[in-house]
Amino acid sequence: MNKILDVIEGKQNYAVFPIVGADHCARLLNLNFSEVANDGRKLAEVLEYGYNLYGYDMVLVFSDPYVEAQAMGCQIEYTPYPTIITAKTDKRFDRIPVIIEATRILKQKLDTPIFVSIKGPFSLAAFLIGIDKFLKILVKDTTAAIEAIDQALEFQKKYLSKLLAIGVNIFLGDPLASASVISPDMFEKFAYPPLRVLIDEIKDKRMIAGIHICGDTIPIIPMLDSLKADILSIEDIRPKTKTIKMGGVSTQTILHGTKAKIRAEAHMALEQAPIILATSCDVPPETNPESIKEMTRNAQ
Amino acid sequence: MDLDKIKKAIIDMDDGAVKTLVETALKEKISAQEILQNSLIAGMKEVGRLFSEQVYFVPEVLLASEAFYIGFNIISPLIKPQQGKSKAKVVMCVIEGDIHDIGKNIVKVMIEAAGYEVIDLGRNVAVKRIVDAVEKEKPDVLAMSSLMTTTMMSMTEVIKELDKMGLRKNLKIIVGGAPLNQEFCDQIGADGYGCDAQEAVQLIEELIK
Repeated sequence: MNKILDVIEGKQNYAVFPIVGADHCARLLNLNFSEVANDGRKLAEVLEYGYNLYGYDMVLVFSDPYVEAQAMGCQIEYTPYPTIITAKTDKRFDRIPVIIEATRILKQKLDTPIFVSIKGPFSLAAFLIGIDKFLKILVKDTTAAIEAIDQALEFQKKYLSKLLAIGVNIFLGDPLASASVISPDMFEKFAYPPLRVLIDEIKDKRMIAGIHICGDTIPIIPMLDSLKADILSIEDIRPKTKTIKMGGVSTQTILHGTKAKIRAEAHMALEQAPIILATSCDVPPETNPESIKEMTRNAQ
Repeated sequence: MDLDKIKKAIIDMDDGAVKTLVETALKEKISAQEILQNSLIAGMKEVGRLFSEQVYFVPEVLLASEAFYIGFNIISPLIKPQQGKSKAKVVMCVIEGDIHDIGKNIVKVMIEAAGYEVIDLGRNVAVKRIVDAVEKEKPDVLAMSSLMTTTMMSMTEVIKELDKMGLRKNLKIIVGGAPLNQEFCDQIGADGYGCDAQEAVQLIEELIK
């Protein structure tokens, strides 16, 4: 069953996926997150648990945003969830095999579309250089910025080809490319070109390509549309888009909102069908499962 | 010397020019206080305006802030204590587990430019360290930020702990960061939410009236 594809192809009006990652599911199972993030079988187990508990329409293989950065030499710490603490160093720690193992297990076991979350090269380059420094060189040293983005793109092309060989769909998360951070001109110059390369590769393999950018995306909607991805996961779903939108329930509503408020936001989003009803970003680990169930119920 | 040149150098993110011009202004016997108020702070106010109008974005604000501090660090030893008397004391930090401090740093420069004393605890700051800092520094305002959905709930723990220790009486707590909003602020019992640096400054002005 692939309600996500049906929405993209215009056969269904809506599907649902509150953006549930491994952190929330691991918490439900009282598992130490660093163990889950470093063990493909455990990662698959927690994501399968979330899928069975909530019954949404896809699974996102998402541990944390730093898998690729860590594989390229950034250092991370678990507090208890991963946070990046250095720019690129010589010490690499590769968790990509963990993601690949979890992806293979879920693909084999579940009859639902499997997506893997990977970083957009712009945001990955920012992690490699250090976010402050990277944002400054976008103005002061564009050659260095483009070199870092190219390096990130080359890495992501190899990672992507491994994922596409398994036959899964891809979500490209590029949080630093939002208009809350950089100008639309900078987006066009630095973030757009590598996203385009990766999306073309996903589409060549006939898999579904999604883009997730939180924060302000209104000024860059036309460019996002022209990337020709299948899904745009964005915080503010009010603007008209050519691409199928994903979103509708704010992260704060899913965390603290009453059931009535969750219902109200979900219904407003569904009025914009075709749509994939989702949270505007990944659900906080502490989210009450009843809130996620309430949201999911509204699109079923 | 025309102090507008320093203001313009800040707006142009030209730290080299700020250094030269501030040094020249001091040689010309322009007071440090005047340089601070009429060029450095004026420059950052304009940068804040350009940011809120989406002419400038985070990279430009970071570079302008850098230029501001080049000038500020030259003149700050010359500002007499009574001249530089702050309006209030603000302790600020990015919560534990979160290293995204760009927003916090921009808020810091705007708050300092508005005449407040800032104690910056940095990023990835544990709950206990924040509570200890409030107990020791007795600030008028505690400003906390988080950019991740996995870390923002630690703010609740800070507030609970401050309540438990009776440290809320003369303290206003403000919060900010991409995944937050007014609803979150209300839920966790903070006193105010600011969506950007300009709003944070206005919020502090209102809260400590």
